[in-house]
Amino acid sequence: MDDEIELFSTGRPAAPPYPPGAREAARRRLLNAAAGRRRLLWPRPGWQAVGAFGLTLALVGGLGVALSSGSAPVAVPGATTTESVSVAAPPREFADLDPKPGQFLLVESETMSRAESLDQGKQTRYLNRTERKFWKPVDGNGKGLLWIAGLKPKPFPGSTLPENAESWQGGGWNEVDGHCPGSPDDTRTDYVHLSTLPSDQAGMREFIYKQPRGGKQPRGDNGSDVGAFTAVGDLLWENYLPRAQRQAMFEAAKTIPGVEVAEGVQDSAGREGVALGKVRNGVLEQLIFDPDSYLFLGERGTVVDERAGGAPVGSVVALTAQLRISVTDRLPQAENVAEDASCDQSQPATPLPTGTGDDLTKPSADPSKTPPPPVD
Amino acid sequence: MVSAQALLDGATLDDSIVITRSREQPELFAVVFDRHADEMFRYTARRLGAEVAEDAVAEVFLVAFRARTRYDPSRPDARPWLYGIATNVVSQHRRAERRRTQAMAKVPADRPGSFDDRSVERVTAEQLQPRLARALSTLSARERDLLLLVAWTDLTYEDVAEALRIPVGTVRSRLHRVRAKLRRALGGIDPFALEPQHG
Repeated sequence: MDDEIELFSTGRPAAPPYPPGAREAARRRLLNAAAGRRRLLWPRPGWQAVGAFGLTLALVGGLGVALSSGSAPVAVPGATTTESVSVAAPPREFADLDPKPGQFLLVESETMSRAESLDQGKQTRYLNRTERKFWKPVDGNGKGLLWIAGLKPKPFPGSTLPENAESWQGGGWNEVDGHCPGSPDDTRTDYVHLSTLPSDQAGMREFIYKQPRGGKQPRGDNGSDVGAFTAVGDLLWENYLPRAQRQAMFEAAKTIPGVEVAEGVQDSAGREGVALGKVRNGVLEQLIFDPDSYLFLGERGTVVDERAGGAPVGSVVALTAQLRISVTDRLPQAENVAEDASCDQSQPATPLPTGTGDDLTKPSADPSKTPPPPVD
Repeated sequence: MVSAQALLDGATLDDSIVITRSREQPELFAVVFDRHADEMFRYTARRLGAEVAEDAVAEVFLVAFRARTRYDPSRPDARPWLYGIATNVVSQHRRAERRRTQAMAKVPADRPGSFDDRSVERVTAEQLQPRLARALSTLSARERDLLLLVAWTDLTYEDVAEALRIPVGTVRSRLHRVRAKLRRALGGIDPFALEPQHG
C-alpha cells in the first residue's frame, strides 16, 4: 500500500516560480562553460588552441561561442582572395629555438576563419579575423595564457556583414591548462614531450594515427585518415617542435591517404611554402610548411566543390599564419582572465559549502551506513 | 537573445539527440536547460528552499554539462539523469536541507486561510506539514532521496531506479522499508487523519 508515500505526494510543499534573474544567470553560467571549457571532452588542443579548420566562432546572444568543425560547410559566395601582393620570407630565424623546461613558447599569429552569427533568430555567416598571442608552457606544466583580439571581420562577397559581427572585440585573456596531472602521456602537446617523439617517418606516422581524436573523429571508412590529418594540424598550430620531429611530422602527414602536396601556397602573411592538403566537406584544408626548415607557416582553406563546400570553387574560407615564435621566461601580467577548468573536470565549478569534489553524476554513498545494505 | 533552440532549426529532438550533438556544439546544452530548468528548480526548491535552490540548479546543469559525454544515448528523456544529478547536488547541501526540515517541523499547524495575509499563506504553502517534516527527518539521507523522488516528481519506479542507479527491484524493496519507518514515525495514527495541506 502506498498510504504513507501518498501523504508525502499530496502534502508536497508548493514550489515558488524560478526567479527570472536567477534562471538567466544559471543559463549564462552554462553557456560560459560551454564557450570556454571544450577541453573537458577533448583532451587535445581545446577551442582556444585550434587552427582555422578546428572551429567556428558563433555569436549567440552577443556571446562568442566556439563551434567545432565537421558540421555543415559554410556558404561563401565570391572568389579567391587576391590580397597578397608580394611574397614574404619564411621565418627561418625561428628554426632553431632551444626552449627549456619552465620557460614559455610565445606564438604570435593571425587567423581568418568562418563564423556564424545568430541574431534575432536569423543566422548569417561571415569571416572572423583575429590576432592571437599564446604563451605555452615548454614542459606542459601549469597554465598558459592566450590573448585573442578581434580584427575587422570580412563579409562574404555577395552578402553584407551581419550587424553584430563587429560587436565582437575578441576573446580577451584566456587561461589554457597545460598537461593535466594523471592524463596519459599521449595527450601531451608540450615541446618537452614532443621532442621525444620518433624522428623518422614511420614512427611518427604510427604516433599521429594513435592520437586520440575524441568527439571529433568523423565516421566512415577514412575516419582514421581524417583524424590523423586533423591531429597533425592540431599538434602544429600554436606550437613548436624540434627540426627532426617537424620533418618527420611533415613526411608522415604526406603518407596519409588522400593528402595532396602543392608547391607555392601562400599563408595569411603572404609567405609561400609547400602545402599538404586534404579535402573535407568540399574544402581543401592545407597545412603550409617552409620547405627548407619544415617550420609550420599557417593554414589555407579553399572551396573545391561548390555543392559540398556551399560556395564557388576557389573561395578562401580559412587563412592563418604563425607570424613569430619566441621563448620567454614568464607569463605576462593579465587581468580578467577566463579560467580553464579542464584539469578539474570532476570538481564543481564553485566550491559548495559541504563540497567533497565527488563525481556528482554518480549516486553518493549513504553516509549513515558504511557497508552497502543488501540489494533485495 | 536567441535561444539555443534556434540552432537546431526549431526541430523537436529528443534530449538524447540534443545531448549527443552538444558534444560537438557545447552551447546546444542550453536546450536541455531550457527544457528542464523549471522542473529541476521546483524539485530542489521543495527540498532546499528557493534561495539555496537558485545556486543548486545552476550547479546541476553545470555538472550535467560536464558529464554529457557519458550520457546514455538510448535514453530519450534526460529527466531521470538530471534528477539523479540533482539528488547528488542536494546531498551537498545537506545542512541547508536539515535546517529547512527542522524549521518546517516547528511551524505551528495553523492552516493557511486562517490569516488574511496572502504572503503568509504563500510561505505556509511552501512548507511541508510539520508532522511530515518530522517523519522525514527520521529517514536516512538515501531513504529521503528515494522517497522524495517517488513522491515529489512524476518519475516512474524505473525512472527513479535509473536516477539512483539501482535496480528497480531495489527501489521497491527500499520503499517498503521506508513505508514501515514512516508508519512508525507518524505514530501509528491513521495517516488519513492528517489532512493534506494541498492537493
